[in-house]
Amino acid sequence: MRNYAAPLSAVDKLETADDGTVTAIKDIVAADPYLAGHYPHFTIYPGVFSIETVYQAAREALTRDGATAELAGIVSVHFKAPLLPGDRLTAELTFRPSPEDPSIVRVKAKCTRADGETSGRITLAMRVTS
Amino acid sequence: MILEHAELKRILPHRHPILQIDRVVEFEPHRRIVATKAISGCEPCYADLADDADHRFPTSLLVESMGQAGGVLWLHSAALSGEPPAGTLILGSARDVTLTGAAYPGDVLRHVVELDSVKGENAFMTGETWVGERRIATVGSMLAVMRADDALTPAG
Repeated sequence: MRNYAAPLSAVDKLETADDGTVTAIKDIVAADPYLAGHYPHFTIYPGVFSIETVYQAAREALTRDGATAELAGIVSVHFKAPLLPGDRLTAELTFRPSPEDPSIVRVKAKCTRADGETSGRITLAMRVTS
Repeated sequence: MILEHAELKRILPHRHPILQIDRVVEFEPHRRIVATKAISGCEPCYADLADDADHRFPTSLLVESMGQAGGVLWLHSAALSGEPPAGTLILGSARDVTLTGAAYPGDVLRHVVELDSVKGENAFMTGETWVGERRIATVGSMLAVMRADDALTPAG
């Protein structure tokens, strides 16, 4: 049971390194919710689902100590290469407080395919309340 | 010009359940579109949800829905001009998405998207999403791209 609405489980595995960097892994599976319609003639993991992967990973990492975290905005997203079924998305997230607003954490993520190619770059603004 | 759901399927490649707009209520070719989407508690994003969970509509799907409204504006305008671009529609990039509210089951999203410019296979747009009189999201810029099908090759 999820405690927030989401189109799919967009993170299979989450790891946190000593320096605070979070790595999220998501295997691209054609049978996942919503993908049957994107598209019927061949499946592509939608760009917005890479945003969902980064968001779910950030939310998980930022709420571990009992804080609440919600998405305040999407600073920028840039998609470079497609993710197709059988591929593996690895998102590396780094966190830093926003200089303008101490309640906002900027989450910068590099998304990589199994072949090492960058699939996208995503920067989110998360509002964190302890 | 009003476009009903069945007509949107002739314009967009998206299908159930990721076709995230229901109807186009205003359409000015090459300039502006107003499209609606009714949010239902029956949608897959509300499956497996705890009773006391946060039921706000996911931002990822909201951005997808607004992007599809922009896709209809671009592709249908181009088709009306007799110059439909070839390829598969994807979201190339977006900047400055500001969230100022939330939508819940029972709400109707109303996207207002303007086409700023088209360069080849790229369309640059801005947009807002409203629920009634509340503006819940603003997108500073959004780039839709028609990517050649042969560019969509698997990894490896």
